[in-house]
Amino acid sequence: MRKTFRRSGNSGAIAWFFHRLTAIYLAVVLLVHFAVMHFIGDGVLTYDKVAARLVSPGWKVLDILFLYTGLYHGLYGLWNLLEDYIHNAFWRAFIYFILSFGGFALVTLGTITIVNFRG
Amino acid sequence: MRYKSGYDFSYKLSVGHVAWILHRLSGLALIFYLGLHIWVISHLNAGAESFNKVMAFLNTPLFKILEIGLWGVILYHVLNGIRLLLIDFAGGARYHKKLFWVAFFLVIILTILGAIPFLHHLHVLGGK
Repeated sequence: MRKTFRRSGNSGAIAWFFHRLTAIYLAVVLLVHFAVMHFIGDGVLTYDKVAARLVSPGWKVLDILFLYTGLYHGLYGLWNLLEDYIHNAFWRAFIYFILSFGGFALVTLGTITIVNFRG
Repeated sequence: MRYKSGYDFSYKLSVGHVAWILHRLSGLALIFYLGLHIWVISHLNAGAESFNKVMAFLNTPLFKILEIGLWGVILYHVLNGIRLLLIDFAGGARYHKKLFWVAFFLVIILTILGAIPFLHHLHVLGGK
């Protein structure tokens, strides 16, 4: 190893680990979410059925966590995938900006939808 | 195939490689679905009428069938994801091929089982 080698302050290990942590939460909550939406009941989704759940603070907290972990997991994964194929520094920065902006927009839109909902 | 860089490059499509490709493709599909999903659900804030209008568009046979596909994609990503967690944290690398086949057959079985209620909803919609 060269003497000039320095350990980077940003190895990406924490982001990697958080991707795995969110995976565990998502695996459980996504399957429950899908079952509640499509397997329990008649499968026809309406405002009243969604409202019945979303007025309760418990569902709001669960859904907000679901939103944030899902977006983190998905955008981290998408960035990892794109990083493997895009090597040009400009395009990397460009794609990173687009993903950050898109992520920020979706976090904002999703948070407003859940928090503002009064029924 | 030989590249200018001198590295030999070949896709032999081993079990682990196929699992990796499918995980990427399913993940790609899911993040695009999530973006659309958040936008669709944001119609809640525009009131019951606006939301029900969007839902009426989605409660059609075409989308019921697409949702069976979504269920399959979710199942693959979740079950292969559990395989990856086992590989990362529980020494699963030693039996990762077996784990893939377990995940693969569970995906097939659970996709078929999950398709039953969707086809039932389809029947209900068709009967209207």
